[in-house]
Amino acid sequence: MAYDRPTELLVNQERVPAKGKCPECSEEQLFSYPVLSEGGWFKVVKCRHCLASLKRESDPVGQITIFSATI
Amino acid sequence: MIIDESTDRIRNLTEREFEAEYGASRYTCNVLANRSRFVAGHMSTNIVTRAFSPIISLNMDYVCAVVGPPELDYPLVGMNQGNFIFLGSLATGVRKTVEEFGVDRLAPGDLLVSNDPYRVGNHVNDACFIRPVFHGGRIVSFTVIRAHMLDIGGIIPGGFSLFKKNVYENGLVVPPMRIFEKGEPVKEVLRLFLDNGRFAATLLPDFFTINSSCALGDEQIQESVERYGLDAWLGAMRYSLDSSAEAMRRALQTLPDGEYEGEDVLDTDGADSEEIYRFHVTVIKKGKRVEVDLSGSSRQARTSLNATPLDAQTSAALGLKVLLDPQTPFTSGTYRNIDLVIPPGTISSAMPDASTHFYWEVQAALVNALINALAEPLGSRAIGGLYGSTNLHTGSGMTPDGRPWFSAAELEAQFGGWGATDAGDADGHTGTFTLNQRLTPTEEIERRVPVLLTAREYIPDTGGPGKYRGGSGFRKDSLFLADGDHWLMPLHFRFPSGFGVNGGKAGRVGGSWFFENQDPDKPECEYRLVGATDTDGVVVSGVVDENGALDENGEFAFFARVPYWTENKGSTLRWITNGGGGWGDPFEREIEAVIRDVRDGYVTILGALRDYGVVVVGDPDEDPEGLTIDEAATAAARA
Repeated sequence: MAYDRPTELLVNQERVPAKGKCPECSEEQLFSYPVLSEGGWFKVVKCRHCLASLKRESDPVGQITIFSATI
Repeated sequence: MIIDESTDRIRNLTEREFEAEYGASRYTCNVLANRSRFVAGHMSTNIVTRAFSPIISLNMDYVCAVVGPPELDYPLVGMNQGNFIFLGSLATGVRKTVEEFGVDRLAPGDLLVSNDPYRVGNHVNDACFIRPVFHGGRIVSFTVIRAHMLDIGGIIPGGFSLFKKNVYENGLVVPPMRIFEKGEPVKEVLRLFLDNGRFAATLLPDFFTINSSCALGDEQIQESVERYGLDAWLGAMRYSLDSSAEAMRRALQTLPDGEYEGEDVLDTDGADSEEIYRFHVTVIKKGKRVEVDLSGSSRQARTSLNATPLDAQTSAALGLKVLLDPQTPFTSGTYRNIDLVIPPGTISSAMPDASTHFYWEVQAALVNALINALAEPLGSRAIGGLYGSTNLHTGSGMTPDGRPWFSAAELEAQFGGWGATDAGDADGHTGTFTLNQRLTPTEEIERRVPVLLTAREYIPDTGGPGKYRGGSGFRKDSLFLADGDHWLMPLHFRFPSGFGVNGGKAGRVGGSWFFENQDPDKPECEYRLVGATDTDGVVVSGVVDENGALDENGEFAFFARVPYWTENKGSTLRWITNGGGGWGDPFEREIEAVIRDVRDGYVTILGALRDYGVVVVGDPDEDPEGLTIDEAATAAARA
């Protein structure tokens, strides 16, 4: 699939606020976003304050859906 | 520096605990962990001694690897001392290829191939070959080779054009396919490659060599599993991964908690000179956790100056490894404590249908931005910036007797100055951290290409001054003996790349030129350039004055103002590379080191005074061993 080139000159990763409190540091700074790490792509919910992962869900597709791979 | 000495270290496990965890003794696991790297090394020896493509046999643009089975989630566990640009793509690329093809469809002796950057990273020339290793009817490993195919079709021979606007102009895109089935070639797949690429006669034997290299690795893994048992083989893989993860975790803990930002830039994507491409890296360190966030980086390029997220992952992990943990082997476990945050659609995470051909330039800029970000928190362990771009060249044409000629990735200035470290001065002629390749020997280039390499020498006063000097810029001159067209891709001559650290100064920025109408039939012609100023040439790229000479206050000459440079026999292409950054206050450099630099041509007498506060007396050309120091004048200069 083809994607449009971003219109903004500089691109930022969107972090979606998530509800809850970090069990490690008790801060309410949880955000949901994708990361690339050992094992590939993950959808994570992480604490902005201490970087603890409250959720790490493997995402085999990642950022790009390849049309021919969906056949 | 606080090191976490908690009890969760592998070394603290008792023998019984270790065997319960890894299925074999500590000794056996170490033997088998080394065995994975040994297997990859043997695969490498096989391919480098038999490949027909010079980019494999002479440049070593490949990597050989052992990857774990699906039950371990396809981890990279062993690799040869190959080309590091492929690291990030190995595990994830293998998983993607095998899963899409269908792991249940694989049989012993099969060889899969895919070259789609959006599946396996890199660019279409870098095909990924994967052989499943079966033992007792189950897959216990994969032997993998990532190697550069000399040609894969597309708009120019060899593919090294910055000006490809989309993936369709790159050449052939191969989804996961079986190129050898049960040891036998799948002829229709071979024909797909051969009918779409130039130089088919060279490519064909390379496919067989790659297959035999993967088969050799298969055989050696079978021997290992037979001798030590499957539990030990798989346990050693987990041990390798955990060891790498632990080594990086401990290394990261030497970094103070905080958020650190750094940046590098590339001049332009070649579409125009207006849009400058920024690589913004934020390293967030909290305890044993690290995020490397590329937010704030430029959007994807309009040309082929792009990379995929897997390529960016290579840079993030390799940059941290170079800075913090350079001693231990690299495996997928190295990534365990590093989360890469990379928004879609940046120059480092281009989306289809963008071309990612020049991904290694993106990788180099990312590493430079990362070491820039960590310069302050690392203190004495900081490293100066590198030379920037590999300044690629592709040329083709006809010799006077009507013979076609072609050269790719040979006549550029691929190597340059590194940044200095606390260990000492930096080298001036080494590849980027991510490129672990050799240069094609001059004799081989001159044998195949109508060209004479007439100069390759360091330029004084170009390495970043410091207590330890950055690597010097160097000049490379290539005199063409036939007419031809030249595609030039210098990407870092607009801004300095070799930043200094700990008080060190930046290396000087270089440029490139064509000197036309040299007469190659006259023996003295190669000497006519010696002593010539750069103002005699037509500037290709660089920040120059009105005469075309380097001037940091001048104007940027946009190299892509013409799509390619048509040059006649007798033209000389000149590169001057950027210098690497210095480390520490240059006025603290040992005086003896400065006088040695003047003797050896790294620093001029003027530069010694200006940059180092050292007054050198004498003639470095006529009496290099007779140089002396004016101690009183030096003391005054350094006061």
